[in-house]
Amino acid sequence: MRSNLLALLVFAALAAAPILIGGYWTGQLTTYLVYGLLAMSLSLVWGYGGILCFGQAMFFGIGGYIMAVLTKGMILPELTSSYLGLIAAMAGSALFALALGYFLFAGRGISGAYLAIITLAMALVLERLMNNWYALGGYNGLLNVPPIKLTFFGASFELWDRMPTFYAVLAVVALVYLLVSWLLNSTYGLKLTANRTHPDRLASLGYNVLIIRLSVFALSAAIAGLAGAIFVTLDGFASPTLIGFTLSTEALIWVAIGGKEMLLAAFLGAILTRTAESWLSEIFGDYWILILGIAFMISVVLLPKGLLATPLEKLTQGKGRKSR
Amino acid sequence: MSEFIPIILDVSSYILILVLVALGLMIVFGMMGVINMAHGELFMIGAYVMVAAQSVGLPFLAGVILAPIVVGFLGLLIETALIRHIYLRPLDTILATWGLSIALKQLVVLTFGPESHSVPLPIDGSLELGTFSYPLYRLILMATSVLLIGGTFWLFTRTNFGLMARAVIARPDTAATLGIDTRRMYRWSFVIGTALAGLAGALVAPIISVDPQMGLGYLVPGFLSILVGGAGPLAGVLVGGTVIGGVNNLLAIWISPVAAMITVYIIAILIIRLKPEGLMGGRRAK
Repeated sequence: MRSNLLALLVFAALAAAPILIGGYWTGQLTTYLVYGLLAMSLSLVWGYGGILCFGQAMFFGIGGYIMAVLTKGMILPELTSSYLGLIAAMAGSALFALALGYFLFAGRGISGAYLAIITLAMALVLERLMNNWYALGGYNGLLNVPPIKLTFFGASFELWDRMPTFYAVLAVVALVYLLVSWLLNSTYGLKLTANRTHPDRLASLGYNVLIIRLSVFALSAAIAGLAGAIFVTLDGFASPTLIGFTLSTEALIWVAIGGKEMLLAAFLGAILTRTAESWLSEIFGDYWILILGIAFMISVVLLPKGLLATPLEKLTQGKGRKSR
Repeated sequence: MSEFIPIILDVSSYILILVLVALGLMIVFGMMGVINMAHGELFMIGAYVMVAAQSVGLPFLAGVILAPIVVGFLGLLIETALIRHIYLRPLDTILATWGLSIALKQLVVLTFGPESHSVPLPIDGSLELGTFSYPLYRLILMATSVLLIGGTFWLFTRTNFGLMARAVIARPDTAATLGIDTRRMYRWSFVIGTALAGLAGALVAPIISVDPQMGLGYLVPGFLSILVGGAGPLAGVLVGGTVIGGVNNLLAIWISPVAAMITVYIIAILIIRLKPEGLMGGRRAK
């Protein structure tokens, strides 16, 4: 119950933020919300699913490129609906994850360090591929991606101004958070925990471990794809950096610093790290990256649950009762 | 025929460098199950030690001697301050050493600047045999690599230290019961692995451009070599390095560097997935 209260507080604070921080920072915060969505997807697959994915930006990038290609009308000039783009982005990322996941997990699948290295190599391959796929813009990427166009009951509205865009993105992020938290509190969340800690016992109880792994991998990819699709409409362009290695590892750092086993902490990890980056990099200059690297090391070694999740868990846990 | 010889030599020299880099990784991974993502940065620091040594007027050979000492000492520091605390959490070593690699990279940027440096060739001449000519330094580099790889194999298969090390790999608990200080073995293996990376960096520095981002370009192929070859026997790294380095270089010449990189990574992923114990067999993925 307390964790719901905490989430409510966080989202209420975010909703109130634009009043205090002004136009420019609202725009920035919108981007950070999208990064937060990516962080949640990584927390789901890594913290809850037990799959250390070193290339989570693959799904972000795939979603982004699908959105860009569709809404620019590069496939069908008549079909440029934003809704279709968002759905296709999520479905495309999820399908890619299903195929990749089946290849990686089926039979005597691989896990742990091998999985990390393979997903890292995959991200590098995709980044190199997009850099040289000239029909999709190559190194320069795709420019002039239109903003999201919301249509309901015949009226249509373009998400172009900062304020409406911010609240629309915040609504999507809050909705995803609600759905995923609800899912994690259901028996599915229980299965995920069992799959992470004792997959053999889970299998011997008659559950199909492969399906559980594939489903969490695909679900996480769909969320990352959604984040990527929203992201390209904010900046108006899709480039190979979205799909690649750098963003993947950045997401990993946000989630590790925030706390991989707590959805809200991972989300806040992304937002706070990015906010700190834009403020502190002015003060510390080039030393900021050094500080970030060291903070990451410290959080992994000393606080494996995360810099944010450790205090947050204390806050949300009642007397001796575990929240999960 | 004679136009093939330089290609064969280029490919062999790339393979040898890759094996040299991967060997240090392999010792650390095979021995302790630690994935050292900062290995590429240690290689890079080895190259920068050479840059620094040359800029204060020291001869090339001094750089070659200094690099493994400096980087090995750094390795000792890293082992004591970081790795020792997370031996029992192998997945966390990936993340912690990744953080370390970011920090090291940025330290080098702050000290030497983000631009690339070049180290002059210590030996200018080239070997001339009739119409065939090849830079002498590359030949010396290849011979040195062969010696170093051979020396490492000798250390791990023919000496008392190597016997103890292999005992620790195979049965850590039994080895500890027999009085082998496993923590000490881990520490020295880590130092040897990092010193090798530093030495490789210093030796390779004259034939590449030295910049803070160069580590990753060796780290990932190095890991793929180990996993493709198999993390058990040391010979695995030779096979893996030959497959990865050979295919990559030949395809880069025949088709394009981009196609080569993509093909090699995909081949490597397929092999690792279908034969997780590697081509040569050995330790199964944990």
